[in-house]
Amino acid sequence: MAQTVGVSSPPTTRIMETAHEPTRTQRFFRGLTPYLLISPFFIGFILFQLFPILFSFFLSTQQWNPYKDGADAFEFVKLDHFNTLFHTARFWNSLRVTGIITLVCVTIGTALAVLLAVLIDAVPDWLSNILRAVFFMPSVTSVVVITFIWKQLLNRRYGLINDLLVSNHIMDAQNFLGDSKLALWSIIVMLIWAGLGWDALIITSSLRNIPEEYYEAARIDGASYIKQFRYITLPLLRPVLLFVVTTGCIFLIGLFAQVQLLTAGNPLHRTETVSLYLYDQAFGYQEFGYASAIAVTLTFIMFAVSFFNFKFLGNRGEV
Amino acid sequence: MRTRRDKMGRGVLSVVLCLIALTYLFPYIWMIGTSLKPDDELSNGKLFPEKITTVQYKSLLEGFDAGRIQLKYQYPRYYLNSGFVTLTSVGLVLACDALAAFAFAKFEFKGKQVLFWLMIITMMLPVYATLIPSFYLFSRVYHWVNRYEALILPGVVDAYGIFLLTQYMRTIPSELLDAARVDGAGPLRSFWKIIVPLSRPALGTLAIIKFLGVWNDYLWPLVMIRQEKMFTLPIGIGQMQVRQGMVVWGVQMAASVLATVPVVILVFIMQRQFLRGFTAGAFKG
Repeated sequence: MAQTVGVSSPPTTRIMETAHEPTRTQRFFRGLTPYLLISPFFIGFILFQLFPILFSFFLSTQQWNPYKDGADAFEFVKLDHFNTLFHTARFWNSLRVTGIITLVCVTIGTALAVLLAVLIDAVPDWLSNILRAVFFMPSVTSVVVITFIWKQLLNRRYGLINDLLVSNHIMDAQNFLGDSKLALWSIIVMLIWAGLGWDALIITSSLRNIPEEYYEAARIDGASYIKQFRYITLPLLRPVLLFVVTTGCIFLIGLFAQVQLLTAGNPLHRTETVSLYLYDQAFGYQEFGYASAIAVTLTFIMFAVSFFNFKFLGNRGEV
Repeated sequence: MRTRRDKMGRGVLSVVLCLIALTYLFPYIWMIGTSLKPDDELSNGKLFPEKITTVQYKSLLEGFDAGRIQLKYQYPRYYLNSGFVTLTSVGLVLACDALAAFAFAKFEFKGKQVLFWLMIITMMLPVYATLIPSFYLFSRVYHWVNRYEALILPGVVDAYGIFLLTQYMRTIPSELLDAARVDGAGPLRSFWKIIVPLSRPALGTLAIIKFLGVWNDYLWPLVMIRQEKMFTLPIGIGQMQVRQGMVVWGVQMAASVLATVPVVILVFIMQRQFLRGFTAGAFKG
């Protein structure tokens, strides 16, 4: 019998089907249906995703002269770009900056988000809904808006944070965005602030799926709140934490807009992330081949980190 | 006894959390406060204006005149651009992704597994993997610099959406589709009458995620757009900084308030569906 659409049809429908056996043209079109359905997506997919990715690998082995046209513009340079890249101190520095930001934001950010989610879950529903919306606000606010607010708050001379520090005699005015150590931490604080609500929201939804009976049983056994958290909540949050950590890592490794707008990599590249370096090489110096080599490297790093996360966080949860 | 103590603990916790929330919102309060200050109060280190004025909003919309420096922003235009690009993208993504997800969830066809996995792998690729070649393609081959096409079309390819919708559509019983076919409904009709209404929660989630993504996107428009009349809100607000020093803080904050408030109001109005749909979609898959 002809393979029909839909996998498991109960016997009754099958009998009905034989009543109208489809003609050959009908069968042809039926076989074509799924391809027609996916074609709008896949045409775009090939044009705007698959082809650019392959082209990216190609470009990373080329010296591209943007002032020439057609095939003349490209010159094959083998793996020279990668060779240069791995011998450039500025690249290693940007990798270090990205690494620090990612590591600190993911660990502290996730820990704070879990804490916040647990606390929000403990208050009455109406309040917890409002609170979730409040903490979610940075996630729906434009990155540009958030970064500019922070930039003014952190301003050396006019910033409100310095005003508060000085007028309350806590410490002297700090050059938050110009000092080589403080600048990186300013970025990190802003990122944790901005990401908290999103992570907390996702974690809360998972908290609500933990059956209340587990906690009741634990209470009967006399387990403290901390023990309940340690032995019930945390293990059951594992899959959601894997998700939060993995997506967080991918986002932070590719961090661009926030840093570009807040410090632009200054002072002296001390806050320059890999993607900022990439952008600078491509659109500042027109070194598109070299920048593609950075892009390819960055892509591999992201895959490696995702793989690492799954390996070490995911093995006990069923993700 | 125990319950009373629990209740009290809850009350204290609620108050503490509210205080934390207020502190958390500090940057927003500052933004609104600054946007309502007159120019000479901008750097006086106070959170709220001494006399509330809308002069910053006026400068933003009507232009800025300080003797030597005269500036006019096409702010309403940024708004229109952002709105148009976002709504079109969301509409197109929903249509393309829903159709493709329907095929992946409810049809058997040759190459299905390969195509699906190909999609999943590219879903995990960062935007940087395609940034430079896409820029080349769009500027040299299609000549779409400063065009809406450049802002809308690449975003339509959203494998994450297909993944989300496919997972959801798999849970719709195939018997419903079989019954519809017996009644003589073609695939498009079943799609429109059965799949779409039943997938509404997942479609809503995708629409919200996409809306936020496009509305707030910074990098891609930054690369593709050079003309002021094509600026989206993030680029427009970002460029205000480049052109001026401290003086335009106020205007910039007014622009930020106007760009933020509608979205935040939307979040609060749709709070329930929004937050619930959002998390359901992100996690049930």
